[in-house]
Amino acid sequence: MRCKSIYWLAFMLCFSAIGCDNTEDGSYVDPITIYEKVNGNWGLTNLKMVDEAAKANKIEPSEENLSIYFNYEDFKINFSVDEKNKPTSYQVTGNVPPLFAPKGYWELSSDFQPTNAGATKIYLYSDEQKTQKTDELRLISVPGKNEEMQLQLVRSSGGTPFVSYIFKLNAIN
Amino acid sequence: MKKFIYTILLAFLMAPNFVKAQENAGAVGPMSSFPVVYKYDEKVTWYFDLSGTTFAETEDLYLWIWSPSEPDAGNWENSSDFAKLKYEGNKIWSFTLTPTLYFSKTPDEIAASAGFWFRLKNKNGSKQSDVANMAYTDFSSFYTANEVIRSYPSKPLVDKPVSILFNANLKDGFAGVPSVHFHSGLNDWAVLQEYQAWIPEVSEKTKLKDLGNGFYRMDLIPQQYYNTEPGFVMQNITFLMVAKDWTTNSGDQIIYAGEFIPPPPPVFAFFPLQISQKDFLGMSRKNNEAGVNKLLYTITAGSKTISGEFSGGTAEIKGFVNLVSELNGLPNLSEIHVLVKDNKDKTISDTTIPLKTLDK
Repeated sequence: MRCKSIYWLAFMLCFSAIGCDNTEDGSYVDPITIYEKVNGNWGLTNLKMVDEAAKANKIEPSEENLSIYFNYEDFKINFSVDEKNKPTSYQVTGNVPPLFAPKGYWELSSDFQPTNAGATKIYLYSDEQKTQKTDELRLISVPGKNEEMQLQLVRSSGGTPFVSYIFKLNAIN
Repeated sequence: MKKFIYTILLAFLMAPNFVKAQENAGAVGPMSSFPVVYKYDEKVTWYFDLSGTTFAETEDLYLWIWSPSEPDAGNWENSSDFAKLKYEGNKIWSFTLTPTLYFSKTPDEIAASAGFWFRLKNKNGSKQSDVANMAYTDFSSFYTANEVIRSYPSKPLVDKPVSILFNANLKDGFAGVPSVHFHSGLNDWAVLQEYQAWIPEVSEKTKLKDLGNGFYRMDLIPQQYYNTEPGFVMQNITFLMVAKDWTTNSGDQIIYAGEFIPPPPPVFAFFPLQISQKDFLGMSRKNNEAGVNKLLYTITAGSKTISGEFSGGTAEIKGFVNLVSELNGLPNLSEIHVLVKDNKDKTISDTTIPLKTLDK
């Protein structure tokens, strides 16, 4: 019985030896930009309203979950890119209140993830030439393997944020 | 064997169908009775607080009781009228019965049973509460305790029923009197309900229930019996038990009231602390008074008026107003006026909220 299991082990080892045959040398590809990660269709999993003034002063409650209100369970957003991975238009679907302009054009503040602490911003425009900025969203969690993304819409007055909305999104398809 | 297995499988397949037809309305909340203590052959009213259930105020509800006996047996899908509860308001329902008659049992049989076990349900049985038990307080030890007075509870509250027992055998002159009366006051006779023997209504109101063999009982809810103002703090009940036409009395007696623990005060708040024209406005009210279950708002923004309501319970009423859509594109707004009332038309908040100007 013991002999038999040793044979089996040897047999399996052969497999792992031949398994590592091919080496991938790779050919040149463009570096992956955030556009590749952000583009596509996203559905809402959670919407949180944060009272930034209360949070700054440690007053409770400082957060409320809005996911169950105003049809937000149906919130979906699409960010489109062209064949060169350049941002084109975006659109919100689902019959929800317009916290930001529901359709227009978009671009990122930076093609790549910044190495410093600051979050990448998504600028939203009403025109294709991207001269009329309507809103901006902070990309506070960049999609990775988990296909999750978090966007924050911040309301500020005199440079001080007083309310923000955090959209937690999941990739669709 | 095979047949047996098929039967079991079939039973499992069918089970969800039966379960689905049944909506669970939740657990029956605090229960009470009036009188607080009673014999099984006396008339009593049971009270059920169903504010924690999904039963609606408008619903007709029925008692489905199977212990000590099952008077409405076989009628789960069409409860009989005799089992119908009475709606008392504030999501409290009541049922009045004389246990010996309702269950067709003697007091001894009821005493030997497992107690009062029941569910509350709607007429056709599609909605039911959890199984509940109405506790019974046995006061028979009083008959042999050599106590002149005993009250249930021992420290009564102003807005809750109390039963006061009297053993007339321990006081001279009560043997064979036609009736015994409760000559009393609250807080060392500050609020009175005297025994005015010459006024028939007062004579009737103050009359104790004769339990036989020289034992008597008085049942009352202080704030109703003495007609006290809301917020009255009861410290004690002072009284004499008086024989008809004052032929004799028990001497001064006193029962001290339980500590009155005021309910936590209601708290109303807007969320967030500051808003712009493009934000949602939340509002919530916690620790609501009994019967308060709605907030009705009227928001005036320039020439536009927005109104609506939020529902909830005593724990909390909460909701959000969609100012984002309602005020979308309205020019030159610097503030909104918000008026909030409860369902009893009391003003909860009447305030002006400035709107923050957003950075571009």
